[in-house]
Formats: sequence, structure tokens, C-alpha cells
Amino acid sequence: MNTYAWLIKREFWENRAIWVVPSVIGVLLVLLALFGRGQFITLTTPQQSHVVGQMVLSAFGVTFFVVMSIYSTWYLLDCLYGDRKDRSVLFWKSLPISDTATVLSKLLVALIVIPLVYFVAADVTTLLIAFIVSVRASAALGGALWHADLWLQLQILWLYVIITTAIWFLPVAAWLMVISAWAKRAVMLWTVLPPLALYLGERWIFGTRYVAVALHDRLLGYAPQAFHTGADSSFWITTTFDKDQIITPSSIWALLDPAGFFSSPQTWIGVAVGAALVAGAIQLRLRRTEI
Amino acid sequence: MPALIEARDLTKKYGSFVALDRANFTIQTGRIVGLIGPNGAGKTSALRAILGLTAYEGRLQVLGREPFRDRALLMNDACFIADVAVMPSWIRVDQAIDFVAGVHPRFRRDRALGLLAKTQITGSRRIRELSKGMKTQVHLALTMAIDARLLVLDEPTLGLDILARRGFYDALVDDYMDESRTILITTHQVEEVENLLTDVMFIDKGHIVLDCSVEEIATRYAAVTVTADHIDAARAEKPFYERRTLGKTVLYFEQPRSEALARFGEVHTPSVSDLFVAKLSGGVQ
Repeated sequence: MNTYAWLIKREFWENRAIWVVPSVIGVLLVLLALFGRGQFITLTTPQQSHVVGQMVLSAFGVTFFVVMSIYSTWYLLDCLYGDRKDRSVLFWKSLPISDTATVLSKLLVALIVIPLVYFVAADVTTLLIAFIVSVRASAALGGALWHADLWLQLQILWLYVIITTAIWFLPVAAWLMVISAWAKRAVMLWTVLPPLALYLGERWIFGTRYVAVALHDRLLGYAPQAFHTGADSSFWITTTFDKDQIITPSSIWALLDPAGFFSSPQTWIGVAVGAALVAGAIQLRLRRTEI
Repeated sequence: MPALIEARDLTKKYGSFVALDRANFTIQTGRIVGLIGPNGAGKTSALRAILGLTAYEGRLQVLGREPFRDRALLMNDACFIADVAVMPSWIRVDQAIDFVAGVHPRFRRDRALGLLAKTQITGSRRIRELSKGMKTQVHLALTMAIDARLLVLDEPTLGLDILARRGFYDALVDDYMDESRTILITTHQVEEVENLLTDVMFIDKGHIVLDCSVEEIATRYAAVTVTADHIDAARAEKPFYERRTLGKTVLYFEQPRSEALARFGEVHTPSVSDLFVAKLSGGVQ
């Protein structure tokens, strides 16, 4: 194994939560499916079946994704701070591993490895639950969860989300690493204070809101960049359940907008800022061995 | 053959505080060098600079490399224990061995296991479950299993009991040391290491105040236990330090003329620890 493989393995040893948390969520959801009680809706048309399948299957993915985002944030804030705090950074620095390799391996774990672990956990959980629901509930509802095209689309959705969020949130992740490599204490506070100060300073001095807009777009602008969110009717279908109407994407497939995402200047500005911040985190790691 | 470590005008500042002030020193291969100084003298800054853990001013070459720029490469040939208890608390002993074996080309697993077999420590234990002394033992076993050309030890035996300390230094000299290796060691327990050192460097207020081999001490310094009736005559020879203990007065001389000094009393070579006190206390007490 090369150094990067060992560095990633090391992160799994240190942060057992990387796989324990998604496993626990999976087990809880499976238990809920096994013993939970609920009113099952009646599905009559193939379209209804397809739409319900899509919603149920993606709901599990969303659950995992939300937890993952919170965990990854915490991981990034701790990853270059914890070993300075307990001074074990001196042990790691006594080994022939460059600070660049250390920082990049942790970034890779946060942006790619942890999401992949959650992806596998979400898939296994969804599969088990689909199986349980098929046995416990009506054949129609069970059948709704077994559309082969839906499953394929979900896999592609996950991989697409992992890649595009890694790129989109690179500057955010890199900022967290800069703080983690720099702060002497109160990493959370230091994460928030400089952007807040910039925002307030800009407002008082220039009366403008560019910082606020840039931060807002970065934190909340991922979905509009990576997915078709317009009102274009070809992407949406309306399904009627008794008296209710639900508007859903015509297919997950049609929702993805890779061309838009990769051609957006916003994406590449973020990559450039992210790369600069990663370089900054590496320089800080070189120089700050102690709290 | 080029020196293993060569420092020219090595300077380290923390804000306005100068921890190392244009220090010059050279360390040759095959030596066991004691870097000795009071707290805050710049020992740790010097070690940090040598190990590439901190940026510095001046010129510094370790194993032909610039430490701060090439730390990762340097660590293929150098290893260190900087202070105690810095093993990560969450790691298991066997994981630590696997990891170091995985990333270090010169790590010898059999040697680490051999060293650990002499202790009570098993591979499944986590570092946080071990006593302070055991943590140090694991760290030492890992470090001494690396075939390094330079070993840097900063207070390596802090927290060890006297048996373990003696055992560690014996192993260091008997099993580890050979003519291709160099050891740089700092400790407050000067008495404990003075018999194994080949060279001593005294550091005070960021300056190297003494840099010589242990053999040279005998030719460069002398201590004379002076009897009361000779004291004024002896003082005329300009001792650099004077100490009174138990009714006796010991005068320390630099570049001594032994035949002249013998008139005043018994002449002997000061021990490293006595010389340290003499050099750093400064002046006549």
C-alpha cells in the first residue's frame, strides 16, 4: 500500500464514527421498517407506483446525506486541530510523510471517502427496507420500490452528487481546514467570525452586500447549479392521489445538469478559491505544530 | 566527509523574543551529542529547527538537506522523540506498528516487536490505556526500530522509573549505536547521560557557549580543590567559577596550566554536570 492508502486507513482508525454513524442510522431505519406501524396508501396506476417509489427511495438517501454533511463539517474542523491539541502532531511529523500528503489525504477523506461510505450504507439500507416493505406491505407498495430504472438512477444520482458537491464545496471544506490548522482554540467561532466580520465591515464601510451574496450563493447555491430547477414543464410531472396532487421530477436522470454545472464560472471560481485555501492550510500545517 | 549537521548563524525568533541567536555548530557522524541548557535556553528551538518542525533564519543542513523544506525526505534517515507522551491516544499498539511499517522504508518490524516483547505491553492495547512509562516504551520501541542515521531524543526518559531509564540508555549504547549513526540528546538529567556522551554542547540564551568532545574537556578545563591557605594565590590565576561546598573551595579554570594549579590543591577534570553549572552560573559565587 502506498502512503495515501495508509493515511486514509489511519483516518478510519481514528474516526470510527465515519462508519459507525451511518451503520447506526441504517440499523435504526431497518428496525423502523421491521416494527413500525403505518398506514399504507393504495397505489392504482403505474405512474403513482413510480412516483412513490422515487420519493421513498430518495428519502433515505437524503437522510444519510444530511447526517453526512454535519459529520463532515465536524471532521474537517477537527482534522488538523485535534492532533495539535493533544500534541500527537509531533509523532506524525516524525514520519516521512509530507504535510501536503497529510492535508490532501484528510481533504480526500472528507469530500470523497466519507460520502462513499454513506452511499454504500444508504444503498444497503434502502435495499433491506425495500425487501422488508415488500414482505410486510401490499404487493402494490412493495412493487413500487422495485423499479430497476429507479435503482440505476439513484446510483448515478449519488455518484453525481458526490462529485459535484466535492467540487462545489471545496472552498468551504478548505476554509474549515485552514481554521483547523490555524486556531489555538474555539474552531467553531473562528470559522464563523471572519466571514461575519467581512460581511459587517463591507456593509458599514461601503454599504454593499457582495460578501453576503457570495457566501449565500456558495452555501445555498449548489442545487440550482447542479440540477435543473427551472419551471420548464418537461422536467416535471404531476401525479394525482385521490384529491392530492404531487409534482415530482419526470425522472432523476432528467434532473441532473452536468453541462450547466461544469460550464458555470461559479463552479470554477470556487475551485480556484478552494485550491488557494488548501495551499494555505498546507503552509499552516508546515508551520504550526503546537497550540 | 561532510558534517551530519551544520548550522551557520542559525536564528529563531518568536516575535521580539530571540530563542536562537546566530548559533554556529557542527555535528559529525558517529557521535553521541548532549545538547544541554537551562529551560528557555533555546534547546527545543534548535531541535525543532534541525527536525524541520519550524522555519528559521540562517543556514542549516542536516544530512545534506534543508530540514524545513525537506522534512518528509529527511525523516527517511532521521527520527525523533520530541518530548514525551505524544503518541496519539486513540491508536492501538499494533496499528501504530502497522502504520509506521507501512510508511517508513527503514522500519524493522521484527525489531519493534522484539523490544515490545520485553515489556508488559500487548498489541491490542490502546495508547490511552497505557501508563505514562508504557507510552514512552512504545514510542521508544517504534523509534529504535528505525534504521536511521540520526536519532534525536528530547527528554526521552521523562516519566520512566529508574530501572527503565537505565535499561533504555544501555540499549541505546549496546544495541542501537554504531559508527554509522549519530544521536543528539537533550535532557535535564545530565548525570544520567554524561557517561555515554562523546560530545557536549552547552546552550544559554540562544548562544552555543561550549561545543567540544568529552575528551577535550580534560585538556580545556580543570577544577582545583583549593586549601584555605592557597586561596588568594589561586584566585590570582583567574578562575571563571568558584564554588564552596562542605568547607572546601573548588575553583574552575579554563585553558589550565596544570603544573601551576597543582600547587594550590588537588586538580581534577570537572564532570559534564559540574562544568555545566560552572559555565552557566557565571562569575564567582
